[in-house]
Formats: sequence, C-alpha cells, structure tokens
Amino acid sequence: MDATMNFYTQDYWTWWIAVYLFFGGLGAATLVTTFLSDMYLHPKKELVLWGAWSGIIMLGVGSVMLFGHLLDHMAVIHVLNPLVLFYQPHAWIAWGTQFILWMMVWGFLYALPYMRESPFFMNLPLVKTFLQWDFVIKVANKCGQYCRLCGWLATVNGIGTVVYTGLLLQSFPAVALWHNPGVPILFTVSAFSTAMAYLLLVLNFFGHKQEDRPLRVFYERTDVILIATELVILASFFFYLQRGSEAAAISSQMLWHDWGWLIGFIGFGLIVPFFIELKGVLKGWQGPIPIMLASVMVLVGGYLLRHYFMYAGVYAQPW
Amino acid sequence: MTRYAMVIDLNTCVGCNACMAACAVENQTPVWDNKWRTYVHDKEIGTAEDIHRRFFPRLCNHCANPACMSVCPTGATYQRADGIVLVDEDLCMGCRACAVACPYDARMEVTYSDVRQGKEFYGEDYRRRRPSMDKCSFCAHRVDQGLKPACVETCVGSARIFGDLNDPNDEVAKLVASGTARPLMAHLGTQPNVYYIDDLKRKG
Repeated sequence: MDATMNFYTQDYWTWWIAVYLFFGGLGAATLVTTFLSDMYLHPKKELVLWGAWSGIIMLGVGSVMLFGHLLDHMAVIHVLNPLVLFYQPHAWIAWGTQFILWMMVWGFLYALPYMRESPFFMNLPLVKTFLQWDFVIKVANKCGQYCRLCGWLATVNGIGTVVYTGLLLQSFPAVALWHNPGVPILFTVSAFSTAMAYLLLVLNFFGHKQEDRPLRVFYERTDVILIATELVILASFFFYLQRGSEAAAISSQMLWHDWGWLIGFIGFGLIVPFFIELKGVLKGWQGPIPIMLASVMVLVGGYLLRHYFMYAGVYAQPW
Repeated sequence: MTRYAMVIDLNTCVGCNACMAACAVENQTPVWDNKWRTYVHDKEIGTAEDIHRRFFPRLCNHCANPACMSVCPTGATYQRADGIVLVDEDLCMGCRACAVACPYDARMEVTYSDVRQGKEFYGEDYRRRRPSMDKCSFCAHRVDQGLKPACVETCVGSARIFGDLNDPNDEVAKLVASGTARPLMAHLGTQPNVYYIDDLKRKG
C-alpha cells in the first residue's frame, strides 16, 4: 500500500539451517568429487572411503540439525517416503530429502567393496562382523561388478543435493535476496569449492604422498577457478541488490556493511585463499602448510556465506 | 464455484482487538505465548500534528497461488476448492518452510509445550493433538455451517467483510471489482484473497 512499509529480517531459519545447507553442500560435493575422481581420474581406494564416509557423516550432521528443530519429529516419516515426490513435486525439501537419502545409500554401496579391502574397516569391531556376513559379501561383490552404476547413481543424487541447497532458498518469493536464480549457482560453486578445500586438507594432512600429486594439483587448479567464479557471482549479486527491490537493497546494506561478511567471508574466505592457491598452482609451495591454511579458510568462508545469507533475508511488510 | 475472500476496511477498524480475542477462543490458539492467527498492528503515520493512527488487521491471505503450499514438503498445507488454505496437523512436521515462504507473516509455531499448555488453558474441549505450524483457516468449520468467521462476526466496526468473490452480487466481490479494495503485495504472484480499503486517501 502506501508509505507504510516496514522491513523485517526473517528469524524462522537461522544458524541451524546454515549448518544444514553448509554440510549438505560440502558433504555431497565431497562424495561426488571423490567418486568421479576414482572412476575417471585417479583410482584411489582411500579417497573413495574418505569421500563416501565424509559425505554420509556430514549429511547426517546437517540432517540432524534440521530434524532437531522440527516441531513434530514423528511426522518426518511423511517426507522420507519416496512417494512424496509424486504428491509434492514442487517442494524442494521433499526433493532434497530424497536426494540426501539416496546419495547416502548409493554412496555406501559404491564404497562397500573398498571397505572390505580396507584394513581399517576390517579391524573395526562390529563393522568387521558386518562386513563378513554372507549377504554383505554378496552385495559387495555385486556393487563391485556394477561399480560405475552405483557411482553414477550416488553422483546424480549428490549433485541434486548440492543444487537443492540453493534451490531451496530460491523458492521463497518474499525474500528478495534469496528469490533469484543466482542463489543455486552461488551455492553450487561454493559447495564444490569447499569440497576441493576439504579434499586438499585430507590429502595434505594424511601423508603428503608423491603419487597423489596429480590429484592435488587438479584439486588446487579447480578450486582456484571455483573461487574466482564465486567472486564474479558475488560481484553480480552486489550490483543486482543495489537497484530494484527495496528489501534487496536492505539485504545488500546488511551484508556489505558487515565486517564478518566483508573481511571474514570475502577477504579471508575467498580472496586470501585464492592468492595462496594461485601461487601454489603457478610456482608451487615448499610444504603443505599454506595450502592447508587456505583450505581451512575456504571451509570457514563456505559456512559464513550461508550464515550471513540466512540472517540477511529481509521481508517487506506493508503494515 | 465459491471463492471465499475477505475485505478489511482500514477506515473503520478501531483497534479494539476483539477479532483477535474471538479468533483465539474459537481456534484455541496459544495466546500465552503471544501467538495469534490474526493480529492488529497499531502504527502512527505522519509527523507532528498531521499524524494518523492506523490499526492494521493481518491474517492469512488464503492466496490462490499460495507460496506456503508449494514449499510444504509433506503436503500438510492444502487448498480446498473454495480457496480456503488449511494445515493438516497430522502431516505437518514443522520445518517452518511455510513461515519463511509467506509474505504476510501469517504462520505461527505450535510446539509440544503449547499443546501441553493448551490442555490446561482451554480444558477438556481442547482439540489439538500434535504440534505443527498453524494459521488462520477462515474459520472453515464455521463457514461450512453457513456462519461467518469469528473475527468477522465479532468486529464492532464492521471493518471485516467476508464473502464470495465469484458472486457478482456479493459485497466483497463488488468492492474488489470496483478497485476500492486492493490486495497486499500482489506483485509477488501469490494472488491473495484478503483485500484492504485504504485509509490514507486525501479527504475534503
């Protein structure tokens, strides 16, 4: 109506959804990256096990964060039923839940034959017994036989999970910051960037092996490109939010006048690690510490992006 | 086909909050936690002597294209053929996506604690069994019996008018068709079915 507009920052979804979106994107992108690396780039059993279990655990933590904040925990059964996609095909949480669920299932099945070859898993109490069951051995053999199929089914659901984290926010028309097609792209790029950072951390922390060098170089190069892309998307967000919807302009002011966003996320979460990794790609580093430091910065930045996005969601209210 | 809608005349709302009380009792809402299905905002507009006090009743807009329904992952939010948007408390898991999606801030949480307290506050007639997101139902249970919603029935200033948008002889349909009553934030594409008659037009 008239000059009576108020602007209100949403407080229904706060840090716990940011954690859900962060671990959802990071876990799924990690699983996808390791599986594709194993299938097409550099077969490596340990990396698949890291990717699969990191993905499953991160998705588990994120989902617990959402589950813990539900009003009726028993009613979650309705969204776990795959048939939900037939009667709520327009609800992204329904899609996301199914993507997460099936990514975990196919991810576990892809990793199962590797687990049976891993001394770590074969020496774990209970897990060892489980892996020696006849049924599990038969399933593992089948999964080994059809490993590409399992790998691709996990990958498709993993990519679905990554994109879903952005599409979810994009589906709310009343929040101008979220309701635009840039959000799924930003969140997808950020998720894969954090996944590269996480895998660089793993590869550098658990033995800086010479045989893994091509993989590390590939992840470093990819991460540099992804961080640069993220900076370009953020620049376009900055200009997009300046003009048009007043609620969007207020979101813009909240973000670009906040030191946590500017220095924490854009500065130390993107620009500094970009230059550290760029030097690594162009001239190399003596040891693994700078890349590990850059990886930690990218991971913290990935969370900060989602955290600030949640708290900068602004509604225009004509009362 | 009937399409229920409400017109709210901001010129005649006196801010008595009787609609809030009537709604709370009729629908057993958690008033102890300041949670209301309809709420009357009280705001001063203008400067110095040229000031205007506005009472602005707000409720679910029963949109024809409800954003809350499209984001609901379990199908708990649904729409009847007559346009009334309802919540099935047995299906709702309370993820709050509907609350985030609603431009009209029409959703509220009913928690386990609210359900427990509701049994003490409203006694043995308390109907709710589970926690869920909650909202105005246009008093569908009353409308089905040919009655008006509780807030409309109780409004002392006749600021709330309830009727059928598809009946050209209905007062609501006439006020909307004439452009006298207008929806809130129609640009969002939600096609709301609560319309407001402005109180800030220049008089004289």
